[in-house]
Amino acid sequence: MQSVTITLDGREVSGYPGMTILELARESGINIPTLCYDPHLSSIGACRVCLVENEQSGALLASCVTPIAPGMVINTHSPRVTGHRSTIVKLMLASHPDSCLVCDKGNRCQLRQIASDMGIGLSEFQRIPQMAAIEEVNPFIERDASKCILCAKCIRACQELAVEGAIDYFRRGFTAKPATLNDLPLEDSECSFCGTCVALCPTGALMEKERAYRGTTKTATQTTCPFCGCGCSICLEVKDNHVVRVTPGKQDAVNHGTLCVRGSYGCDFIHSPDRLTKPLVKANESFEEVSWEQALELAATEFKRIKDKHGPDSLAVLGSSKCTNEENYLLQRFARCVLGTNNIDNGSSLYNAATRIGLGTSIGFPGTTNYVSALEESEVIIAIGADPPSSAPIVGYTIKRAVKYKGAKLILIDPRRTKLSSFAYLWLRPKVGTDVALLNSLAKVIIDEGLLDEEFVARETDNFEACTKTLEEYSPEYAEAITGIASKEIRAAARLYAAASQAAIVYGSGITQHTSGTDSVKALANLAILTGNIGRRGGGIYALQRENNAQGACDMGALPNFLPGYQNVSDAQARRKFEDRWGVSLPANPGLTALEIVEQARQGKIAGLYIIGENPVLSFPHSSLVTQALTSLDFMVVQDMFLTETAKLASVVLPATSFAEKEGTFTNFEGRVNQVRKAIEPLGQSLSDWEIILRLADKMGCPLPFSSLQQVMDEVEELVPLYEGYADSQRLHEDELSIREAGRSYRGQLLRGFARFSPVQYTPHVPRQIRGREGKAPFLEAKEGYPFTLLTGTILYHFGTGTRSSRAWRLKKFSPQSFVEIGEADAQKLGISHCDKVSVISPVSKLTTIAKIIDGLPEGTLFMPISFPETPVNGLFDITLDPEAKTPSLKACNVRIERVGPHGEKEDSRTS
Amino acid sequence: MIKKQYSLTVCQGTGCISGGAEDIFSSLEDEIDRLNLGEGIRIKRTGCHGFCQRGPLVVVDPETSSGLFYSKVAPGDVSDIIQSFLPGGKPVERLFYRDPASSKPIPNYHDIPFYRKQERIVLRNCGHIDPEDIDDYLATGGYQALRKALFEMTPEQIIAEVKQSGLRGLGGAGFPAGRKWEATFRAGGNEKYVICNADEGDPGAFQDRSVLEADPHSVLEGMVIAGYAVGARRGFIYVRAEYPLAVKRLRIAITQARDKGFLGRDILGSGFGFDIEIFRGAGAFVCGESTALVLSIEGKRGMPKPLPRPRTAEVGLWGKPTLLNNVKTFANIPLIIVRGSEWFASRGTETSKGTAIFSLTGKVANCGLIEVPMGTRLREIIFDIGGGVPGGKAFKAVQTGGPSGGCIPASLLDMPVDFDSLTAAGSMMGSGGMVVMDEDTCMVDVARYFLDFTQRESCGQCIPCRVGTKQMFSVLDDITTGQGRPEDIDLLLELGESVAGTSLCALGQTAPNPVLTTIRYFRDEYEAHIHEKRCPAGVCQALVSKTPSLSKREGEGDK
Repeated sequence: MQSVTITLDGREVSGYPGMTILELARESGINIPTLCYDPHLSSIGACRVCLVENEQSGALLASCVTPIAPGMVINTHSPRVTGHRSTIVKLMLASHPDSCLVCDKGNRCQLRQIASDMGIGLSEFQRIPQMAAIEEVNPFIERDASKCILCAKCIRACQELAVEGAIDYFRRGFTAKPATLNDLPLEDSECSFCGTCVALCPTGALMEKERAYRGTTKTATQTTCPFCGCGCSICLEVKDNHVVRVTPGKQDAVNHGTLCVRGSYGCDFIHSPDRLTKPLVKANESFEEVSWEQALELAATEFKRIKDKHGPDSLAVLGSSKCTNEENYLLQRFARCVLGTNNIDNGSSLYNAATRIGLGTSIGFPGTTNYVSALEESEVIIAIGADPPSSAPIVGYTIKRAVKYKGAKLILIDPRRTKLSSFAYLWLRPKVGTDVALLNSLAKVIIDEGLLDEEFVARETDNFEACTKTLEEYSPEYAEAITGIASKEIRAAARLYAAASQAAIVYGSGITQHTSGTDSVKALANLAILTGNIGRRGGGIYALQRENNAQGACDMGALPNFLPGYQNVSDAQARRKFEDRWGVSLPANPGLTALEIVEQARQGKIAGLYIIGENPVLSFPHSSLVTQALTSLDFMVVQDMFLTETAKLASVVLPATSFAEKEGTFTNFEGRVNQVRKAIEPLGQSLSDWEIILRLADKMGCPLPFSSLQQVMDEVEELVPLYEGYADSQRLHEDELSIREAGRSYRGQLLRGFARFSPVQYTPHVPRQIRGREGKAPFLEAKEGYPFTLLTGTILYHFGTGTRSSRAWRLKKFSPQSFVEIGEADAQKLGISHCDKVSVISPVSKLTTIAKIIDGLPEGTLFMPISFPETPVNGLFDITLDPEAKTPSLKACNVRIERVGPHGEKEDSRTS
Repeated sequence: MIKKQYSLTVCQGTGCISGGAEDIFSSLEDEIDRLNLGEGIRIKRTGCHGFCQRGPLVVVDPETSSGLFYSKVAPGDVSDIIQSFLPGGKPVERLFYRDPASSKPIPNYHDIPFYRKQERIVLRNCGHIDPEDIDDYLATGGYQALRKALFEMTPEQIIAEVKQSGLRGLGGAGFPAGRKWEATFRAGGNEKYVICNADEGDPGAFQDRSVLEADPHSVLEGMVIAGYAVGARRGFIYVRAEYPLAVKRLRIAITQARDKGFLGRDILGSGFGFDIEIFRGAGAFVCGESTALVLSIEGKRGMPKPLPRPRTAEVGLWGKPTLLNNVKTFANIPLIIVRGSEWFASRGTETSKGTAIFSLTGKVANCGLIEVPMGTRLREIIFDIGGGVPGGKAFKAVQTGGPSGGCIPASLLDMPVDFDSLTAAGSMMGSGGMVVMDEDTCMVDVARYFLDFTQRESCGQCIPCRVGTKQMFSVLDDITTGQGRPEDIDLLLELGESVAGTSLCALGQTAPNPVLTTIRYFRDEYEAHIHEKRCPAGVCQALVSKTPSLSKREGEGDK
């Protein structure tokens, strides 16, 4: 590409064609002030502060929208330019309130900064205040239009980045302002309180509300969001060891200046009064605070005793998909070297084992094959079993952007209406649990109509014949009978997906948490390789991860059957590599999975358990069974930030720090290794998980040879091929991190050299089996007396089992209580009104909640969010496992619903 | 019985209708029926005759009949008018137009100075044909240009003809129409659009409305020819929702044109297809700006896009090449095609060809819609056609170009009216509004009035326009209420220069014109307001009133 040379303030500078004057000036170290420009947004040239003068023509040009042209002679600070610029800034000040002294934006206000830089004080202009009332009752965002300069960053952020479309320009002339439809309060609009607009607002017009701690922040730490698997870059602004504010971080290859409500306002949990600050030991059914020394001594002694008495495999460890890579690495080494067992698993196994096995079998890589940003290049996106706007908002934004601005066509496969429904080109609503039949039928149409990528299939895959054979019976008509989706829609979807030159598949726990999860993942992979959509820019498979480090915990080998980097424990050669490095002999038998650990504990075969940052009482199915199992243990150590439902059952509780108090890395769902940096000192006596593990190992007499986190990283780099080079990246200057696409990501080629078609069969869940099959448990046996199918999932305002989000008090305030969604027709039949108190009863448990009548649920279907600790939805599930992944069904179960009585309190306006 | 055939036209323009023209028409019908004169007297509805000041108008067709011009007709006059056609009947003299100076009655349409000095090209059919009857349009040679274009000319030839004619866009900016057509023609892609801008938002301007109400087919014909020339298959007319009659007549015209095969898939069997939809604007002045108008049709908020930007001819509606011209520009096209570019170019000045159309209003004897060759002097327009300032008052200024135009003083009355001369005088052709002001007009108040309009209509996007015009308005408000400070004139000049120099679109760039020109030509009036607290014209209430409490600002105390 040829460069373009212009004269800028008397200096010759060069840029690339299409670059704007402003961009080139910034690159050349010339500061042109601006208030409406942001690199993440389309430029609108509205504030006119960035005007520069073309010395040849005398024209005043908005530098943010004017591309450089060869030979241009530009003056950015001529007397004429500065004169006009100062008039414009004075105009803004003249209609801005004089409340700087009490404005919370303070010195962060860009209008004030620019005025100060230009030496503008009192002006001769008349004061014409903009009158505005503040009406919001939400706990997140306060809008004060009297301070608005109408730069429209908020409007563009809402429309272009988050694609919520909650606000737009309203009215004309001096009274123009950004507003919601009909100027309603935000909570009555489409606003999802992502906070992106607040972060971009140059003045005090948009401010975060109800902060727990106030003050001018002293430090700002770039780190990674601790909630979902997107791994957004966030910035923690700190004063007095308090996180005062969370804003979108700088290394934002994933989030592009956005966040969601959890990232922006959910970190309140860091300073929750519930935080554990001292180690606890249970004595006489109650906890006593003890010193670290005492607590660790007790834990070490007990684990040693159990190991000596019952053997190492009577011990088990549950690692955390919320802890860092380094902590999970240390923990698995602790389990394998110190305890001597492979009985280690992590919470993400509950939903991502299917991905690991399914994708591992098909494409030889256990996760997402492309970057989120590449979704914007897709022509067609299939979203199945996923509600990204709630569960992985950044992916939601990206899909919406792709559809709205890049012309992508979305095929949404979901029985529920979600926020994506209105963006869908095709919305297929299969009966719950019939995904395999649908996906097989899509593959069959593609093969029958010759729409497959024959070259890719011939060159890069095997087992095609076997797969074709299995697909024979899956005609669209046959699939229609099973899924309830019209055959012509199935054909249309197949043609759309296959015809695209770049097509992506996004799936989430709506696929993996069924007992047919592994099969569904394989069927999805079949579709992708059938059409050659692996290794293409806008193609690929996106396996959403629910938690921030689900990918990393598995990569690090917090798994019963894999050493770090998915090196099989039963593979002697792989074992030897680690044995040589660690100087121990490793157990060769695969250990127990998370649920097997619980099951074996119940049977008394597991006597001691060490749980880090997991809450199986709520996150596992059948709570009462889990509680029973954990209670029957000889000894259990729980290491957590809070006294969770699980921690309450422990013998020893160790207080761990939050992500804000530690260093390390998280690996997001796309495989990007993101830095976690310490923003505040640990609260109370809490310690980082990695420190605790090291100290416990010391106490057990088998110290792990690390004195710093860096040494752990070096070892990870050495032993885990996927993380090659990652430790180096951690040493880089922080701003450089975003430049490289981080360590472990899929690099566009098939690791194994080829992909394999995996024939899968649909296993019917209806009692009247369409076709008998051997060896697989029926998906969901409809039971007499339980006529409803209960679907479960994530809602935007809470997270996981709610351990953190229910202590993030702004989230809790906005979305205070659990609910069950029911369709209007069903509600009418049962005499249930909106906000009635209802019981949801499954064969194993029962809970009481509030009914919320919505449209968008198929008849006979209910939906409940999983994140309210007071209504443990997972407890309604019996333990039914995916036969291959050994993961429990936690997505759909049979229930009945009964009205208990009317509800007194007014229900919160927006909880989903 | 009447031997001769008489044809009566009754103006049914918005102006005359508001004066009761519909009643007059039905009374005439009833009277003709009652006397059983249907054979001898035919009456028809027409669009605006232009002379709205004298409405309701009844004209005895000048082409076929006497050409008698009855003005200010009331239902009570109907019987006399009909009687006048009966044997022995006499013209109804009391309804004749009278020369304002001599009070001499002028019975004939062609003799009235208001019409005599005009050259009506765009307005050729206005007042003569029934806008709701396509046959009437066809009878005047309508759609012959389309036939000629489709069957005898290539798109390139049409564009060449339009270029050679020197026609400049009559929406205000005066961009050469042929160049726009050519750019749209040359832009790639199969999908292109033609848009007719009928979002006439200026207060006091009504020429687009009148053309649409009186002669909708000439606009449609121009658009179809444009579509054929540039390669578009769909056209839109963006018309103000405040123009219900224009919308109604356009709908009728479009339906009739479709029925006759002038619109549709295969126009006149030529194989060329083109159809037109009406899009009604929602009342935002700024939507007259081309990029805002395009966004508005797309269903978005109409806001101008910043420069530099691709031309609408290249990236327009839904991102496709789009030809956007004003109503009057399209109405010129059929004549240019039929009579040729030379004929057209023989009118007007070197740089402004053809005619200019003005809505002549204000302190002038003959208000109405007029069309004159480009280059006609202001004096001729105001004094010959307009009949001068009534009541023996002295002429003070004329404001042209709508709310963003400038005020031109008496010293420039001999200036020729064309795009470039008006711009040089600090004003503009704009939408074609022409407001005459007499000695009783306060120029500060005028500036304040126009700025009040533009500041309200700012889209709000850019600071200079949204806040700068408000600030200027506030200063003017102070001056007119006796709060003016000595430094206010300089402040207005500084603000005006910044708003004009830095605003994002033409609305803001031109909004200060009324202020800047009134300061330029009538600075003494500002000084009188500020220094002497006196309004020379006696308009500003706060400064003429003996009771200061009438002024709302007075009570606020000294500042």
